Amino acid sequence: MNPGMKLLLVMLVALEISFTQSLIVNIILIAVSLLYILTQHISMKALFGIIFWPLFPAVGLFVSQWLYGSAGIHFAWILFTRIYAYVFLGATFTLTSSITDLSLTLEQDFHLPSKFAYGVLAAFNLMPKIAEEVRIIKTSALMRGDALHFWSPKLYFKSILSSIQWSHNLAEAMTSHGFVEDYERTHYKVIRITALDWTLFIVLLAVVQVLLFFIRY
Amino acid sequence: MDNKSQASGVKKQSQWTLRNIILIALIAIFTGIIFWGAGFLYTALTVALTPFGMAPFANDLLMGLWCMAGPLTGFIIRTFGSAFLGEFLGASVEVFLGGQWGAGAFISGLVQGIASELGFTLTGYKRYDWFGLNASIFTTVVITFAWDMIRNGCDKFSLPLLLGLFVTRYISTFIFAGVLTKMIVKLLDRSKAINL
Repeated sequence: MNPGMKLLLVMLVALEISFTQSLIVNIILIAVSLLYILTQHISMKALFGIIFWPLFPAVGLFVSQWLYGSAGIHFAWILFTRIYAYVFLGATFTLTSSITDLSLTLEQDFHLPSKFAYGVLAAFNLMPKIAEEVRIIKTSALMRGDALHFWSPKLYFKSILSSIQWSHNLAEAMTSHGFVEDYERTHYKVIRITALDWTLFIVLLAVVQVLLFFIRY
Repeated sequence: MDNKSQASGVKKQSQWTLRNIILIALIAIFTGIIFWGAGFLYTALTVALTPFGMAPFANDLLMGLWCMAGPLTGFIIRTFGSAFLGEFLGASVEVFLGGQWGAGAFISGLVQGIASELGFTLTGYKRYDWFGLNASIFTTVVITFAWDMIRNGCDKFSLPLLLGLFVTRYISTFIFAGVLTKMIVKLLDRSKAINL
């Protein structure tokens, strides 16, 4: 499915289950998402991660609602499954779509200005380097006997200095590769929203509506 | 006349250049990654508070951290939408790093982005000082709290517990999105690295 349509669908459904209260629909969404993820050949480690880590907030919410909420245990279960529904819905997108395809389709089909699509893409591609830079900043401060934590303004200050420098370099590099802001572009890789994408989007969204309408438990 | 139109053209020139867009995205990713390192804190707090049924406090205690990217980018690139973009991208980083919120983080990012942007909108993008920052903090706390009441079912709690959560969130946001942001902006100001 087109990544842009998929993201839109996932967000719409996630938004809807925030406002509706149906335990069974939550479980159906989790099951369908899980089945979809399993067909996509993802690693066991990633699968374990999305099952294990949400357990903490899910149990936390469950217990507090159970002990202090006025709506009873059924509502606590809805909150518990809601967290998993968010995560599994999200995983159908994040584990199977590339951020490059997403920004290409956002530019070509959703009419996002190209400077946003490519600018943000360029920055996101630096993510591993940024993680590295954070480590470098912390280590070099440590060598001067200065421990930087997430509450230290200096850590952010140095990060912003790097961002300023890198944004300058990246923008120059893109310009020298022929990128012109606010100018019509031609595309090497063309991504279109097909009739199948539309059909899937509408049918899946409609099915969720029907489920939410009829299953109130 | 030609000169005049050129002068007004320069004045109106959009801040949304390729370079500034990349800058916002980079700052958002940097802050996203720094908080990612503090992510264990959230899990640890949740585990510690769960037996008392106080797990929602973990969320509110750390709220300020997650809402830092917005005011920060809003302060550095002073134009409509920069706080929103920074906050939203910051939340997206968590999604791509495999955060525990999944699609929920995208939606929280949207809500937090709109919330922190609104503070700058209310001051007409003119007050880039302690007052403007506090306006952004105020809208952030009120809107994200209202959203979390729906999402996490907090509206089913009793009033004292709700008040406690609200005050916790306000203090956290005030410290991280307020005091810490102000300190960072002050450092930037002194270094003259950027035209504030």
